[in-house]
Amino acid sequence: MPSATVNKPRPSELLSRLTSAEPEVKVRALREVKNQIIGNRTKKLSFLKLGAVPAVAGILADSIDDVTENNNCNNTNNFLVQSAAALGSFACGFDAGVQAVLDAGAFPNLLRLLANPNEKVVDAVARALRMIYQSKLAPKYDFLQQKNMEFLISLLNSEKETVSGLGASIITRSCETNLEQKALFDAGILRKLNSLLEGGSLSQRDASLESLATVFRNNPEVISKFAGPEIGRPLSSIIDLAKDRYPRTRLLACMCLIVIRNASPHFLQDIGIKTKLIHILLELLDDPGQVGDEAPFAFSSLIAQKEDLQKLALEANAIDKFHHHIKKGSLHPRRYEGILLALADMCSKLESCRSKFLSLQVLNLVADALTDYNAGVRAAACICLKSVTRSIKNLSAGYFMNETIVIPLVQLFLDPSTSVQVAALGATSNIVVDFTTRKSIFVQCGGMKQLVQLAKSMESSVRSNALWALKNFVFQADNRLKEGVFSELTASLLSSLIRDPEPSVQEQALALVRNLVDGCINLIEFVFAEDGLILGAIGRQLQCASKAEIGIQGMYALCNVASGNEFHREAVMQLLFTQMGDKNQSFVVKFLQSNDSQLRTATVWTIVNLTCPSSPGAPCRLEKLRNAGIVSQIKNMVNDPCVDVKVTIFFIFRICFLFASLFWLT
Amino acid sequence: MSLFWVMIPQLAEIQEQMASSKKVIMREEWEKRLNHIRIRKEDMNKLVMNFLVTEGYAEAVAKFRMETGTEPDMDVAMIMDRMAVKEAVQCGNVEDAIEKVNDLNPEILDTNPELFFHLQQQRLIELIRNEKIEEALEFAQEELAPRGEENQSFLEELERTVSLLVFKDVSNCPVRELLDISQRLKTANEVNAAILTSQSHEKDPKLHSLLKMLIWAQNQLDEKATYPRIKDFLKATLENPAV
Repeated sequence: MPSATVNKPRPSELLSRLTSAEPEVKVRALREVKNQIIGNRTKKLSFLKLGAVPAVAGILADSIDDVTENNNCNNTNNFLVQSAAALGSFACGFDAGVQAVLDAGAFPNLLRLLANPNEKVVDAVARALRMIYQSKLAPKYDFLQQKNMEFLISLLNSEKETVSGLGASIITRSCETNLEQKALFDAGILRKLNSLLEGGSLSQRDASLESLATVFRNNPEVISKFAGPEIGRPLSSIIDLAKDRYPRTRLLACMCLIVIRNASPHFLQDIGIKTKLIHILLELLDDPGQVGDEAPFAFSSLIAQKEDLQKLALEANAIDKFHHHIKKGSLHPRRYEGILLALADMCSKLESCRSKFLSLQVLNLVADALTDYNAGVRAAACICLKSVTRSIKNLSAGYFMNETIVIPLVQLFLDPSTSVQVAALGATSNIVVDFTTRKSIFVQCGGMKQLVQLAKSMESSVRSNALWALKNFVFQADNRLKEGVFSELTASLLSSLIRDPEPSVQEQALALVRNLVDGCINLIEFVFAEDGLILGAIGRQLQCASKAEIGIQGMYALCNVASGNEFHREAVMQLLFTQMGDKNQSFVVKFLQSNDSQLRTATVWTIVNLTCPSSPGAPCRLEKLRNAGIVSQIKNMVNDPCVDVKVTIFFIFRICFLFASLFWLT
Repeated sequence: MSLFWVMIPQLAEIQEQMASSKKVIMREEWEKRLNHIRIRKEDMNKLVMNFLVTEGYAEAVAKFRMETGTEPDMDVAMIMDRMAVKEAVQCGNVEDAIEKVNDLNPEILDTNPELFFHLQQQRLIELIRNEKIEEALEFAQEELAPRGEENQSFLEELERTVSLLVFKDVSNCPVRELLDISQRLKTANEVNAAILTSQSHEKDPKLHSLLKMLIWAQNQLDEKATYPRIKDFLKATLENPAV
């Protein structure tokens, strides 16, 4: 008899049957809800909105009471199994469902039911709990409490796969700190996981690999204890699993080995294992399913920040393989994002990788990804561009400043996602460091104006990154370009950004001023615009600089201003001394005494510019500096460890000799 | 010119050498070598049992167990549960099959979007086969369309299936193979494999892998030797090598 869809009750009708007094009607409705939602995300959402989860959780709770009162066993078990299965399905891969199950108070009941004598009930309950623990919303498990640890051990020791699997997923989800990792090790959990690794079923091995990786993460002590006196035997079982016939097992084993490598400098460092890991992960890319989607992320975690691995991966033709996969098209967004990020990591440090990337024409494909419908993909494309545009050779040749890249990139400045905006700004910051005369393309497509708009964003990360891009844009740019930027920005906006609540924004704003006034003397007038708004802001900010980087950029800005004419130099002097107020120590002395050598260098350079002998007012200024104790501070720095500082100080001593009479008086 | 005539016989000789550099093993020699290899009866029984279990012949499993004492690597009850699902699909009772799978293990369909889609697809096909067009339309809209929304990779297959509704004479339309019984078998095998995987059991019988290995090994050996090979696996007879 073929199946029919007629006479199917509406969801709201089903829901009302869940509260029926007749057990037959109730259990049939429960089973129907369960069967409708399994595999069907759309139905889960619609039943959720109708309030199905509290109703089902209520049935679970009532059935537990029935068990306690020893009522009709078979019926009760059926209710327990069906309601647990339904709750588990609501929670499966569906965060809103997990939240609803937790809100309905079903979690403690499910835990209690793990002790139920009926196997089917325990299976259903264990599965439901495991679905909850696969979500970030799962309640935190406190491993440090003795009875919790004992409970966990009992789960792992269970004969039932569903229950031991639950134990493993609790570890994978909840174990976070080094303290917890140590507690798990001390309780013998790792030995248990290892035995599941060697003697368990496929799902037990996979679950165990994930849990082990969680316990090892960033904990070299636990790793060396585990690999212990048996000289790498436990590690060798993980290495063997990296060559297992099942792709998922291979992936999880690789991820575990990578965690071990990254945490501890003593293990898995030989070239053999490095090459093997690279090859296995590249081969896993061919898997059409979720394993292939996750493989590039594991690859990134292996090679990120590590030049030796990036070199090996290059030799293994990693970039060609990634290119081949992107070219195929219609990728799952997760896979697309992963491959782009892997390419970004490959090209982050080595010019050889960037050359390979560019020679294969991957750049066009990445430019396409800038307009993808998925935000993660767009952000990843920008991050990839940022890595590739570190190629000074190609930047100098103006390779990237073209419409195919700049136009979609500038459009991303208006992207609804902040992370995409920030990533686009990062890529832009590199691209605008262009030594050809093509910077105007950026202005033409409205990029410069957009950057100024973004400098007013509510998000501090967007503000600071926009300023960074502007800073790079005006670096050694021609006067016309700089004037364009300044008139768009305005003195009042720039001075308020210098005084921004966020230190990173302050730093970038000061650096932008530094680059703006560098070069032609006319540009120095910027800081005097609107009654010296910007100059005043710099002074006030230097007085209360919260970190060295702010002092550095501010002093270099002043240094550039002081390289102008007498008027400029006097203005800087006034700034240095006006800010003293009640404090007897100028921030100049504070900077000269700083631990940061760059800050000391910037400050002495400013003093050199202020006391440059060719200017008429120099002797007067030197006198003022001497009176403020700055000259004697400088004399104490004769043996400064930083070469730049030492060399600059000798300039000052020469100046002092020239004004001999003043020198002898000190 | 004369150099050319000198070369020819030399080339011919080289070619002959290459052809004959393939080792030749005659049948007698081959059979002698094969006889040295010992295969245990228990191992063969296990292979047979593994085949019966994986394919789901529950009664045969029970009988074979009784007659040979070989233990199946799975409960007979579990095999019967799985077979009930497979048979339901093969008879076109997809809704019944879905309920049974969910009773067995609700995770299977919750974590296998492709399988779930294929089962829903089969339901639609069955409705169309029984000319319940209105129901089919409703079903396609309510149940299948959301699958396409949830997962773009199903859209193409979805369109093919829904196009069945467009044709008046379905037995002659371009997608008529969807109505074949073989489509049911395909879906049934998919479910069978998914259930086996969820029980941490391999989805293909070991006999399958062994035969694949045999074909591969013979292909490899063909490049290096002439020997009595097995051409017909059903007969498993050795063919005399061509000399």
